[in-house]
Amino acid sequence: MKSSEASEMITEKTKKIYKAKVSRIEKVSSLSHLIEIELPFEIDIKAGQFISIYCSGLTLRRPFSVYSHAKNKIGILFKERGEGTKYIKSLKPGDDIDIIGPLGNGFDIKNKKALLIGAGIGVAPMAFLKTKLDEKGIENLFACGFLNKNEIPQIINLDKIYTDDGSKGEKGSILNYLGLLINEYNPEIIYACGPLIVLKTVAQVAQQYNIETQVAMEKVMACGIGVCRGCVIDIKKDGKTINATVCKDGPVFSGSEVVWQ
Amino acid sequence: MAVITNKLQTNLNGLILKNPIMTASGTYGYNNEYNDFIDVSTLGAIVTKAISLNPRVGNKHIRITETQAGMINSIGLENVGIEKFLEEKLPVLKTDNIEFIVNVAGSTIEEYVQIAKICNENGIKAIELNVSCPNVKTGCLEFGVDENSLYELVKAVRQEYSGFLIVKLTPNVTSIEKLAQAVQKAGADAVSAINTLKGSQIKISCVNGKISKTIVTGGYSGKGIKPVAIGAVMRLSKAVDIPIIGIGGIETVEDVIEFLSAGADAVQVGTANFTHPDIAQKLVFELEEYINKNGFKDLDELKKELRK
Repeated sequence: MKSSEASEMITEKTKKIYKAKVSRIEKVSSLSHLIEIELPFEIDIKAGQFISIYCSGLTLRRPFSVYSHAKNKIGILFKERGEGTKYIKSLKPGDDIDIIGPLGNGFDIKNKKALLIGAGIGVAPMAFLKTKLDEKGIENLFACGFLNKNEIPQIINLDKIYTDDGSKGEKGSILNYLGLLINEYNPEIIYACGPLIVLKTVAQVAQQYNIETQVAMEKVMACGIGVCRGCVIDIKKDGKTINATVCKDGPVFSGSEVVWQ
Repeated sequence: MAVITNKLQTNLNGLILKNPIMTASGTYGYNNEYNDFIDVSTLGAIVTKAISLNPRVGNKHIRITETQAGMINSIGLENVGIEKFLEEKLPVLKTDNIEFIVNVAGSTIEEYVQIAKICNENGIKAIELNVSCPNVKTGCLEFGVDENSLYELVKAVRQEYSGFLIVKLTPNVTSIEKLAQAVQKAGADAVSAINTLKGSQIKISCVNGKISKTIVTGGYSGKGIKPVAIGAVMRLSKAVDIPIIGIGGIETVEDVIEFLSAGADAVQVGTANFTHPDIAQKLVFELEEYINKNGFKDLDELKKELRK
């Protein structure tokens, strides 16, 4: 879009839309990249919240969970999956980037011994959550599952690693180890992000152990702010099944409130 | 914040707006949701998400998908219902000083009439009848494609509603002009056009010879539909005398001007709100800038010059 003098004036500190700059972009695994974005000023972000990036020429912005945040810098991890991520991958340090956010509710951090489960690129928001838990001195264990060792972002310190092909850490899906992890570590709460099947299984296994869960969901979004109702999922509330938007009511839900498909 | 003068004032046969930039139903929520990005009160008007008599939960299947030059939606008119709108959403519109038009959806004439009556009783000064949602099974689109039933519907609503009555037309018909004429004859104050085009997308993936498909059918919107909308507005401007609100793929001030030139008296921005949530306000500023830069007195003069 053409920018004009008049249009520059409407971006204020209170608004959630920023003309930002790419400050760094690098490959962190065979499939994923880290992009660091510099905003014109400092903002607050909770772990589990996301930003949505305008990808030149595409109608819908692409939402990404925040991986790292300090003052006016935001880092996200992404895997090239389609046109949007292809565009983001093409950006260079110094390029303009148009983002909105922070969006969504984020994790509700509890002062409880925590197990963090990430799967695939779902590792990103969990790494941010771990930083927040560490800052607060909350005991935690960070366990992640991947297809193979090439998929593991080298910049993340993980306590436990599982790969489907056994190329690093324990062999097999992290889901096969959930019971064992819970028995060994005795968490009071589990936070998770990853594909639907991972979140569903985590929620169901945790329920058997009577452990609270918070899961970060994913869905194709249009507006990102709850108005278009494009990204709804079913949740249980007061005995009824209702729609909740992943973008605004979520992306973090209690594992026990989600109606799993 | 730029100073907004009254150069952009838009008079739609009695409905006076501070500028001709509105936001289309379904893309802007019910009230001040976009205050996270702009000051919504600076817009000509927002058109609320479609509101039905009773709350609707909407569709279950995949609701949105991106396409080339736009998107397909199949939300299915999920909304809070008129009662909750009046209770929770209307007060915010009033305190935030937001100009608004209530988009009304129903499945029977009685339902439309009842909502119109409620709007009348509550002093809502403008409504837009959604007779063209492609995503619900009954009502709505059925009225929008048949000039006789549309006439009956608009006439019945007109009798109960004394405010400014807009009817939103679907492009999924043979002659949009005939429908607009029926609407005008039934006493509507304006038409808005166009609603989404009916469309589908099939996403196919093939792994080791095994094909899997994801099909999304719904309303196609976004910049790809602009030529269809411009064509419709041009034909409508020859067919009816009531004001026309142009909708379809607007993203830039040049698009707005193209719609004005085609015969639109105001416009609604839809899908572009998702891409650029501050776009509607930008268009207000850029339209004023365009008028100043080119030495026109005001919007009315610009329209006159465009239509010479």
